[in-house]
Amino acid sequence: MKRKRIAVSILVLIAVVAVGLGGCARNVTRIAPEQAIDLSGRWNDVDSRMVAEAMIEQSFGSSWATEHMRSSGGSPPAVLVGSVRNRSMEHIPVNTFVRDLERAYVNSGQVRVVAGGAERDELRDERVDQQEFASAATRNQLGMEHGAAYMLTGEIQSIEDEEGRRRVVYYQVDLSLVDLETNSRVWVGQHKIKKYIEDPRLRI
Amino acid sequence: MFDRKLAASAALLGIASLITSCGPRLAEVVNNGEVLPDRSAATIADARANGELERARLTEERLQAGTAALASCTPQVCEAIARGEVTIGMSFGQVLAATRTTADAWESRTSGGFTVLTVRPGSRAPDDAVGELAYVSLESGAVANYTYREPQGFRSVSDPADATLAGRAEARAAALLQQGDEYAAAGRLDLALDRYDRADVIRPGDSETTLRIAAALDKQLRPIEAILRYQLFIHQMELEKIEARGVVAANIAEAIARARERVIILEQQ
Repeated sequence: MKRKRIAVSILVLIAVVAVGLGGCARNVTRIAPEQAIDLSGRWNDVDSRMVAEAMIEQSFGSSWATEHMRSSGGSPPAVLVGSVRNRSMEHIPVNTFVRDLERAYVNSGQVRVVAGGAERDELRDERVDQQEFASAATRNQLGMEHGAAYMLTGEIQSIEDEEGRRRVVYYQVDLSLVDLETNSRVWVGQHKIKKYIEDPRLRI
Repeated sequence: MFDRKLAASAALLGIASLITSCGPRLAEVVNNGEVLPDRSAATIADARANGELERARLTEERLQAGTAALASCTPQVCEAIARGEVTIGMSFGQVLAATRTTADAWESRTSGGFTVLTVRPGSRAPDDAVGELAYVSLESGAVANYTYREPQGFRSVSDPADATLAGRAEARAAALLQQGDEYAAAGRLDLALDRYDRADVIRPGDSETTLRIAAALDKQLRPIEAILRYQLFIHQMELEKIEARGVVAANIAEAIARARERVIILEQQ
C-alpha cells in the first residue's frame, strides 16, 4: 500500500514537472507582415503602415510634383528627407513610415530622393576618398550633387486620456514638404489614429 | 417573498444595464488579427503611369522647342541657349530653350505688339543659368527686357551690358547700398554697415560705398576705422576727374572736404 502511494506520488511529480517544462517553452509562429496584431495598445507596425499608406495616397493625390515638372520642363522634383520629430510620450521609430514614403517616391519615378544628414556625410567622405585613391576613369566628381528643391519634415504628437482600466490614445502625424528656396509649404499630409485600450479586470 | 426577490433582481439588472450603457460604443476600424492588403502598391503604380505620361509629353515639347530654337538662332543667341541664359533679342521659343522649360511653365499676356511672360501662379519660377526669372517682355516677338528675382529685389536687364557679370554686380551693389541707406535712416547702423560691406565686396573700390562705410563707422563711434575709411575715400577720388564733372563734381568735392574735416576732428579727439 505504502509502495503504491510512493509510486503514485512520483508519477504525479513527473507529470507536474513535465507540464511545467512544457509551459516554459517559447512558441514562435511566423505570420504575414500584413496581419494586424495589437497586444499592448502602444504604437506598432500596423500604425506605421496606416500612416505610410495615408501619406503616400495624400502625397500622390496632390499636384505638387506635377506642378514642379511643368515649371521645370519635365524634370522631377528632388526631395531631401529632413527630421520627423517624435513629440509623443512613447518611443516611435519614425523611419519605418518615412522610408515607406521614400520608397514610394523613388518607385513612382515622380520624385527624386536625395540623401541627407549622416548618409550624405558618409557619401561625401567616400567621394573625397575617391579623388585620391580611385583611378581617373572610375572617379566620381565633386560638386555634382543634385540639389534638393524640397525638404520633407514632420512630427508626431499624441494625446492620452486614462480612467481606471480604460485608456484612449490619439496620435496625429503631420508631414510637410517645404520649398527650400522660399520656405513655403507645397504639400501637407496628415493622418490621425485613435485607439481605445481596455485592460482586463484580472491579470495573472 | 417571491415578488420581493423578483423586484430586487430586476433592479440589479437595471443598474447593471445602466452601468454598461455608460461606456462608449466602439466602432472598430481594424479588427485584431485582420490581414490588411497593401494599398500603397496600387497608388504608386497609378502615380508612375500618370507621371510618365506627363513627363514624356513635357520632354517631347521641350525637345521640339529646343530644336526649333537652335535651327533659327544667331551665333550670339545660340551661345546663350547653350549656356542656358536668356538674352535680348530671343524669341519665345528660344526663351523656352534657354530656360529648359515648356509653355506650361509660363503665363503669357499679350497686348498690342507686347507679350509679357510671367510665372504661373502657384508654381516655382523658371530660371536660367544666372538666376530666377520673374518676367520676360517681348516686343514684336523678340525679348526686349527681362527681370530676375534676386535676394536684393528685382533686377531688370534691358541692355546686353546689364547681363554681364559686371552689370550684375553693379545692380546688386546699388540695391545693397539702397537697403543700407534705409537701415541707416531707421537708426540700424549695424545692419546698414553690413549691407555697405557686402556692396563693397561685390563692387570693390567704389568711392560712394567707402564714404557710406566711413560715415556709418563714424556714427557708431568707431573713430580709428572711420579715419581709415575717410582716408581711403579721399585717396579713391581723382581730383582731375572731379573738375571735369561739372555740377556733380561740386557735390563730390563737398564730400571730400567733409571727409577731410572729419579726419582732422577724429584725429584730434
